[in-house]
Amino acid sequence: MDKLGRVIIQVVSILIYSAVLFLTALPSLATDDCYSCHGRKGMPFYVDKTLYEGSVHGKFPCTACHLDIVKYPHGKTSRVDCIICHFTGNQGAPRVRDFRLSVHGKALAVGNTAAPTCQDCHGSHIIYLARDDRSDTARLKIPSLCSRCHLKEYDDYRRSIHGKMLLERHDARAATCFDCHMEHLIPKTDEETWKLELIKQCGRCHTEQMNTYRKTFHGKVTRLGYTTVAKCQDCHGAHMVLAIKDPGSTVSPANIVNTCRSGNCHPKATTSFTKFYAHAEESNRARYPMLYYVYMFMTALLVCVFGFFFMHTFLWAYRSLRERMKRGKEDLR
Amino acid sequence: MTFVQRLHPFHRILHVFMALSFLGLVASGMPLKYSHAPWAEWLVRLFGGYEGAGLVHRVCAVVTFGYFLSHIIYVVYDIAIVRHFKFDIFGPESIVPGIRDIEDIYHNLKWFLGEGPAPRFGRWTYWEKFDYWAVFWGVGMIGVSGLTLWFPEFFGQFLPGWIFNIATIIHSDEALLASGFIFTIHFFNTHLRPEKFPMDTVIFTGKMSLEELRHERPLEYRRLKEGDALEQYETPAPSVMFILVSGLFGFAAVVIGFFLLILIITGQFFS
Repeated sequence: MDKLGRVIIQVVSILIYSAVLFLTALPSLATDDCYSCHGRKGMPFYVDKTLYEGSVHGKFPCTACHLDIVKYPHGKTSRVDCIICHFTGNQGAPRVRDFRLSVHGKALAVGNTAAPTCQDCHGSHIIYLARDDRSDTARLKIPSLCSRCHLKEYDDYRRSIHGKMLLERHDARAATCFDCHMEHLIPKTDEETWKLELIKQCGRCHTEQMNTYRKTFHGKVTRLGYTTVAKCQDCHGAHMVLAIKDPGSTVSPANIVNTCRSGNCHPKATTSFTKFYAHAEESNRARYPMLYYVYMFMTALLVCVFGFFFMHTFLWAYRSLRERMKRGKEDLR
Repeated sequence: MTFVQRLHPFHRILHVFMALSFLGLVASGMPLKYSHAPWAEWLVRLFGGYEGAGLVHRVCAVVTFGYFLSHIIYVVYDIAIVRHFKFDIFGPESIVPGIRDIEDIYHNLKWFLGEGPAPRFGRWTYWEKFDYWAVFWGVGMIGVSGLTLWFPEFFGQFLPGWIFNIATIIHSDEALLASGFIFTIHFFNTHLRPEKFPMDTVIFTGKMSLEELRHERPLEYRRLKEGDALEQYETPAPSVMFILVSGLFGFAAVVIGFFLLILIITGQFFS
C-alpha cells in the first residue's frame, strides 16, 4: 500500500509538472521567435542557443522565466524573479530563504542597487550547477566571483595560505569565501552567532587545532557562547591567513606580540608572555614535555588520593554498618 | 549533658567563610572547566555570563586568601604570644602528623577489615590532619596557579607564557581533587558516616558532648582528665536554636555540594 501510494504520488507529480511545462510553453511566442533577434551576435541580450540548451535551464522556453513578454517586438521588460520556480518547498528553495536572510538579501530588500541579485552570481541564461566546472559558482572560481565586488578582500585572500592553495594549486580542499561566509546565508560580520559559528567552520578542516583550542580559556569561553575572547580569526587573521612559518604571519615571532596586544586583549603583552601555547596538547610528551610531566604528576596525585580515600571510606562505611547492626541485635536481646 | 569546648570561635568562623567561598569557587569555576557539558551554559548564565562567573570566582578567591592568611597570622600569634613558643609540635594538641598517625591508619584499616580493635584517637585523628594540611597544599597550588591566570600580563613579564598552560592544568586538576574530596570523603568522614549522620554540628557550635569525647577521642579525654583540665573546657550545651541553624547551614552546604558533584561527574565522564 505504502509503495503503491508513493507510485501514485510520483505519477501525479510528473503529470502536474509536465502540465506546467506544457502550459508555460503554450503562449503564442515560441522560443525560436526570440532567437530571431537575441540569437544574433551583437544584439542586446544575446543568448548563445547551443550554450543555453546545454545549461541547467536549457529545456525551458524563454517565456518560462520572462513571463512579461507575450509578443514581439516587445518593450522594456522587468528582471526575472527566480522565486517563480525556486519558491519555498520547491527545488533549491531553502537557498532562496537563506539568501533573503543574508546581508545581500537584506540590502536588496531595502532597495540597495549595489547588492547582488541571484543573477549576479549565478549568471542569467547560461547557468550551470555549482558542481559543474563551467559554473561561475564552481568551487575553484568562488573567490573570483566574490572579487567582482569585494576587491580588497580578494586581494588579501589571494595572498593567504588558503588562496594560494585554491588559486595556484587548484586544490579544492582549501577554504573559499563560502566556507566561512556560508554561501547564501552570508551573515553580517559583526553578528555574534556567526563569530562563534566561524570557529566550527575552521574546525571542520583544522580538527586538531580546534580540539586543542577548546582546552584553553579562549576556547572554553567561546564554547559557552561569549565572543569577547580570542577566536581563530583574532589571532590568525581573516582573509590573509598566512602559514605560521611565514614571517608575515600574524602569529610569527615578529608579529605575535602585536597580535596579542591588538583588540585591547593583552595590551601589556611581552615576548615572554607570547610563549603561551594557544594550541597545547598535554598528552604529547615529545612536543610539550613540561606540560606532559605536570599533567602526569597531577593525574598520579588524583589517582592516589582518591584511590586511597575511597577505599578507606568504603571499608569504614562497611565496618560502621556492621557494628551498628551488631549493637542493634544486642539491644533487642 | 555535659559539653566540652573543642573548637575556638575563630576557627569556626573561618570554616564558615571557607565553606561559602569554596562552594562559590566550585560553582563559578566549573562551567569553564566543563564548558562542553550540557549544563555549562545554564550554570554560567546563573552568574550573569562568564564575566559574572569570573567576578564571583575572584571575590571568593579573595575570601580564600583572606581566611588562609588570617589563619596563619592566628597560628603565629597563638604560638608566639599566647604560648610563648611553649608548644610541642608533635604533642597531643598539635595537628602536625607524626609516626602515631601512620600507626593509627594501619590499625584503623585492620579494624575496618575486622582484624582488630578500633584505634584510640587523640585530639586530632589522621583524617582530620589530612584535611587540614590538604587545604595548605590546595590553596597553595590553586592560589598560585589562579593568580598567574588572573594577572597573566604581569606574570608574563618575567615568566614564559607556557606557565599559563601549566597553571591551567594544575588549577583545573587541583580543583577536581579538592571538590571531589570535599564532596565525598570529607562529607562522609565528618557528617555522613553512621555515627554522625546526618550532620555533625561541632564545626559550627564548637562543642562536643563529654560522652562523645570519651567514646571517640579517648586519649584526649584521658589527657584532659589526668591533667585536671577537663573542668576548664566544660561548657553548657549549645542552644537548640544554634544547633538547628548550624544543622541547616551544614545540610544546605552538603546538598549543594552533592548537586555540584553530580554535575562534575557528568562533565568528567560524559562528554
